Amino acid sequence: MKKTRLQISWLSFLLLVLFSLVTISCSDSFLDIKVQGGVTTQTDPNLASKLVTGVYNSLLQGDAFGNGDVHGWGFISVTSIISDDADKGSTAGDQLVPIGDIDNFTTTPTNRFCETLWSGHYNSIGAANQALKSLSNASIDDAQRKKLIGEVRFIRGYIYFNLVRMFGDVPLVLRVPDDAADANTDESFQTRASRSLVYDSIKSDLQFAAANLPLKSASVTGHVSKGTAQAMLAKVHMYLGEWNKVYELTNEVIQSNEFALVDDYATIWRQVGDNNVESIFEIQTGEFNNENLDIDNYIVSQGPRVGGSGGWDDLGYGFNNPSASLLSAYEPGDLRKGATIIVIDNSGNHLGTTLWDGFRIPSSDSVQNLFYNYKAYTSREKEKFARPQSKNRPKNIRILRYADVLLMNAEAILNGGGAGDATARVNQIRTRAGLTPKAGVTINDVWQERHIEFAMEHDRFWDIVRQGRAAQVMVAAGKTNFVAGKHELLPIPASQILLSGGKLKQNPNY
Amino acid sequence: MIIRLLFLGLLTAPVLLFGQVRTISGVVKDTADGSGIPGANILIDGTTKGVATDLNGAFQIELSAGEQVLIVSFIGYKSQSINVGQRSSIEVTLESDATQLDEIVVMGYGEQKKSDVTGATASVKGSELMKQPVLTATQALQGKIAGVQIISSGQPGSSPQIRVRGVGTALGGTTSLYVVDGVLTDDISNVNTADIVDMSILKDASSAAIYGSRGANGVIIITTKKGSSGKLKITYNNNIGFRQAANLVEMANSAEYSNYVQAATGKAPAATAYDTDWYGTILRNALQQSHNVSLSGGTDKSTYLFNAGYLSDQGIVLNNDFKRLTLRFNSDYQLNEKLKFGYQTSFGNSINQNAFSNINIDPFGNIGSVYNNAYRAAPIIASSVDGRYGNTSTFQNVGNPLLDINNNSIKVNENRLQGSTFLSYKPVEWLTLRSSLGGDWRNSLNRGYYYQFNADDKTFLVAGGNQLRTQSSLAVQNTQAFRWVWDNTATFTKQIEEHSFTLLTGITAEKFKVTSLSANRNDVPADPDLWYIGVGDANTSQNGGGGDAWARNSYLARLNYSFREKYLLTATARVDGSSRLPSQNRWQTFPSFGVGWLLSREGFMQNQTVFDILKLRGSYGKVGNDQIPTNAFTQTVSLNRPYPFNGSAEPATNGAQINQIIDPNINWEITKEYDLAVEFGLFESKLTGEVNFYDKKVANALINVPVPRTVGDADGVILTNAATIQNRGVEVLLNWKKRVSETFAYSIGGNVTLNDNKVVALNGGRAIRGGSIGAAQGFTTLTQNGYPVGSFFVLKTNGVFNNGAEVSSYTNSEGKIIQPNAKPGDFIYDDVNGDGIIDDEDRVFAGSYQPVAYFGLNGSVNYKNWDFSIDFYGNLGNEVYNGKKAVKVDGRDNVEKKVVYDRWTAANQSQTEPGANTGNQYASSYYVESGTFIRINNLTVGYTFPVSTLGKFKLSSFRAFATSQNLFTLKKYSGFTPELPGDPISSGIELSAYPTTRTVAVGISVGF
Repeated sequence: MKKTRLQISWLSFLLLVLFSLVTISCSDSFLDIKVQGGVTTQTDPNLASKLVTGVYNSLLQGDAFGNGDVHGWGFISVTSIISDDADKGSTAGDQLVPIGDIDNFTTTPTNRFCETLWSGHYNSIGAANQALKSLSNASIDDAQRKKLIGEVRFIRGYIYFNLVRMFGDVPLVLRVPDDAADANTDESFQTRASRSLVYDSIKSDLQFAAANLPLKSASVTGHVSKGTAQAMLAKVHMYLGEWNKVYELTNEVIQSNEFALVDDYATIWRQVGDNNVESIFEIQTGEFNNENLDIDNYIVSQGPRVGGSGGWDDLGYGFNNPSASLLSAYEPGDLRKGATIIVIDNSGNHLGTTLWDGFRIPSSDSVQNLFYNYKAYTSREKEKFARPQSKNRPKNIRILRYADVLLMNAEAILNGGGAGDATARVNQIRTRAGLTPKAGVTINDVWQERHIEFAMEHDRFWDIVRQGRAAQVMVAAGKTNFVAGKHELLPIPASQILLSGGKLKQNPNY
Repeated sequence: MIIRLLFLGLLTAPVLLFGQVRTISGVVKDTADGSGIPGANILIDGTTKGVATDLNGAFQIELSAGEQVLIVSFIGYKSQSINVGQRSSIEVTLESDATQLDEIVVMGYGEQKKSDVTGATASVKGSELMKQPVLTATQALQGKIAGVQIISSGQPGSSPQIRVRGVGTALGGTTSLYVVDGVLTDDISNVNTADIVDMSILKDASSAAIYGSRGANGVIIITTKKGSSGKLKITYNNNIGFRQAANLVEMANSAEYSNYVQAATGKAPAATAYDTDWYGTILRNALQQSHNVSLSGGTDKSTYLFNAGYLSDQGIVLNNDFKRLTLRFNSDYQLNEKLKFGYQTSFGNSINQNAFSNINIDPFGNIGSVYNNAYRAAPIIASSVDGRYGNTSTFQNVGNPLLDINNNSIKVNENRLQGSTFLSYKPVEWLTLRSSLGGDWRNSLNRGYYYQFNADDKTFLVAGGNQLRTQSSLAVQNTQAFRWVWDNTATFTKQIEEHSFTLLTGITAEKFKVTSLSANRNDVPADPDLWYIGVGDANTSQNGGGGDAWARNSYLARLNYSFREKYLLTATARVDGSSRLPSQNRWQTFPSFGVGWLLSREGFMQNQTVFDILKLRGSYGKVGNDQIPTNAFTQTVSLNRPYPFNGSAEPATNGAQINQIIDPNINWEITKEYDLAVEFGLFESKLTGEVNFYDKKVANALINVPVPRTVGDADGVILTNAATIQNRGVEVLLNWKKRVSETFAYSIGGNVTLNDNKVVALNGGRAIRGGSIGAAQGFTTLTQNGYPVGSFFVLKTNGVFNNGAEVSSYTNSEGKIIQPNAKPGDFIYDDVNGDGIIDDEDRVFAGSYQPVAYFGLNGSVNYKNWDFSIDFYGNLGNEVYNGKKAVKVDGRDNVEKKVVYDRWTAANQSQTEPGANTGNQYASSYYVESGTFIRINNLTVGYTFPVSTLGKFKLSSFRAFATSQNLFTLKKYSGFTPELPGDPISSGIELSAYPTTRTVAVGISVGF
């Protein structure tokens, strides 16, 4: 009995020890558990260069119905479907609100695509600002730092260039907000900066890039190079009518001998033409994790669509159809027509349309529309993809090619930006297209050449706005809803105006 | 591991057999309703020898020479002593103790007499739960407890959803906290209902405050069975039955379909010889069975219980199957007068094959789930003929649901080991020290195999279409989770004259870690023996993995004080610390107070005969909802943001982005609740009841506050604590029990809960859109200031256009034609803001999925050896959204038979039903239907064989029964079921709901 009592007092002692042990072990360190698998700026020393890749990645945003679009369906809508070159396509009622409105110039400030384009571009800018912040104190050598900063500033400049062309004056955000309160109080996040301020920032970003990036021949594919920055800067100057600069920069690009025209126009938008000698700025797609790395909806939204009596596994949703006015803009014998437009067999002979890789699209009684964008076609059989069975396959988007530099140079010469043979520049393009050379080209000839050369390449709408004849061209193409002084720009998203408490102002007439 | 553990348990379990002199068998029954009382104690007077009754109230006991008197007792009943005399079988009826208040109820970290409770709690006995042939005990609670709404789908293996006193969150988690023998968990699908002796629910903040930051969604405490001293007792029970879909929607047949399509599209589909009933094709009558064997016994120093259970539950959808094996071993040892030791362990293995929600696979993302496809598929297409399938996708862009079922094999295999062990030490009479350590290990392997098939004429009767899979694929995911919890408590109990005190103090620590690993590859052959990742094409391999970890540390205290057993006071506090909150918010206190007054014990109440019990109680408390993401306050980098620098031929370079602005001050959602109640027992407690009022408010509910897009936040919102949500309600509980004669007794009872839920303030938060169902419907619910959480916000229909003139005369004040493209037979939508355009701005409140009232009713009759019970469950005054009907996107989709016959036509100008159309309708009030229903939840008839007839079979008890779950439903809703679980902002929407099932089963319960 005595022994038992002894044991028990030992036990109670033990329990007390346990109690105190728990108390001690359960101090704050017990509760200091880091987020599992959550990389923070403190835990990854190589983060800065990864963030640069992340900025490039932001160019692939294509969530037109969601949180951000840069080169997806929204981009297609406001650069191509909006123009005289393309119709909405698909069935009459399909996506009537966001896309039909954009096509018909009945867009309202609640248009979803306008909102996601706004978000997507600022997502890119946010990613760029975060990367720049990280690069400024990353432990890398200075030359490397400058190159990486150059790449990021190029992309930021390019994104602002698109923003200013879509929306006009926009908030100029060049830093990372400290927190939500900062974001909600600093005026620069809420109010629009004038176009000229935005353009100054774009020029400064692109100039830095041009000064610090290596030549294309010294760069890894897909990275922007000195030539990319110069050519983009030339285009910016062209939009501002600063022809001396356009002339100077395009000449530098031409004389660098880093770029040339390819022989076969039709191959430019195929996989075989990815990053070819003509490519200056190209949005890269490919594979990651054994999966397609593509821009959401870019291909599938434009793919030929089943219709009528059906019976085939179609290629997409059938949007962005080349328009009648584009078809009639080609000169007879222009090789570029067949390379740009898929024409559905409507002859009644039921032969269908056989594409370059042998794929046959049935004739019009089984297809929804009559014309489709050939430049958005990918070949399941003849091109290589991580997951070919997906209908939305990777496709590099050619944003800027050498042909553009030649035509910018010609236009600069014709506008008195410098001395040179504008006719020769234009005829270089025409010859490749299988057309006879022109003599004594005018500005209108250059514009016509730009129209055809870059048809369905997201250039047309902004180009005619730049040329100051958007209203005239639109009305001629039958898009009579176009109101000059209004429809050159998209509406600022209503939700964002609301959020700013009215500090963010709407574009005229919306 | 588990085998070894069980073996060890069996070895150490003392099994003592007494020298046999004579055996008395008997049954213990309740005088009120004549039902057997399980777990009643039978003690031989003057000894420590005793036994407990089995599930049917039966027992067997050996008496030595000279032992004649048995003491029969059970909590809540008056004890009896019985002189056995020379009888070999006896029947004892126990009368419920008029002061049923002495019933012991389970609280967190302890127990309490019901009379002393000042908070709102309720409990259900295991025997009541066992009556119902359902998978989890949670589902068996349906309709049993006021204030607790249980919404369950008919899907095997799925866990039902619980809402305790309304919806208290919009974006936080809603899972209730379960405490199984002290182990905290969020899922009890591993717990065999036959193992449960008591399930208690802490409903109000005052009683749940002892669980602090985890009490807001209700706390359910499960106590599993233990052995009782006496010789080895073996019981076996089973039930075997079948399930079928309880309510089906009748679809158009081929002729009706063709007629409708012709009217909608102007073109009749080509006639075929088929008339397929797609639901008939994919549904079946499913077999369900469960078996339980239990061994238990013990000595006065130790007890043991072993229980093995097997449950097999086929789904009513083909190829869907759920199987579960559970083993349990519980033991208690009184080591000496002061020291007690015990453990409860369980092992569960479940295999869930082709759970319906997993079959949603298609190559291009344009074919919906099987169930949805069965709704859409045209009856003129064959399901299959001689092994080849009808090609629905080439006809109408819908996958053949039968093919989807047959060409996907998805299996989830889960093992779970859960248990706790405790040591309790009572150095002096007034102090108990208890330390318990619990663990919960969970491993699940999820494997999906997706067969390869082509859209050719080997697979289909007609080649073509987009239902095909060019490569087979295999996906596996392994998840391992472990949690331990260590509770140390000290309980002081002291009676000083008329003051009685119980003080509980404790410290608990808990840690949780989960890791998961996933992989998939394509091109794995169809032979199941080859379904391993290594067999697939390495060029297609993908993998992923992640984890989560957190820890909690809490200090708790509870004081129960009563004066003269009439005036009651309870005060609790829990100080919770969690790794999931930023350090400045890390420690928080959750206090509660409760007071009670037992009027019926007052002197002035002694001269009346109406009230046996009259008690008033009131309480206030604070509880939290800690279900917020672990990383909500930490700025992390968004990984895997690659860019293909090396062209399309090479894998891309990996990158990262910082694209979130976070709220570094994120906090738990905290509920403050007031509770006021009266409890009563009248007419010798034949009538008992309770009325409860509650008012609870969450002032910092999580909500997304929008920030300008210019800051570059990827979703444009910051999750923060801003919104205020309120629930107010009344619960009423009434029970009437009467024993009319020795052989006849009956009872009738019911409970009803009225709840009013409202978002009181969003405080800058964005009204939350929810219930997005796609097509032209967009979102269907809005969580908005002044309305219940997740209310339906849709366009209001004002009938149907009868002709073109009506279309052109439907204008706004400026004369603008509101629906210029409308045709006769189309809906007229109310242009609420008068801008002449029908858009999202015209959406109006159209009701809520949350019922005004929900209720349960029950009745029982016992006559001689027969027992009969019935219970009803239902709710009133809520709405549901007929999503599957609304989401029609294609003119060739099948429609309901009713739609064909009731539709608007020029000849039959219906004012409510639209004309034949090709779908793509806006979300409108037309699709909002009443969710009111009542159904017979359970109906059971049983027969208990008289003890006297069992002796020759060497049985101590035998009961046979027939039962039916969900036999009959009365509802207004035209769809499959108005019981539609979902998260707070997207509930009550029937999109591809698994139909509720009706079960009919028979079973036996035998004691040896």
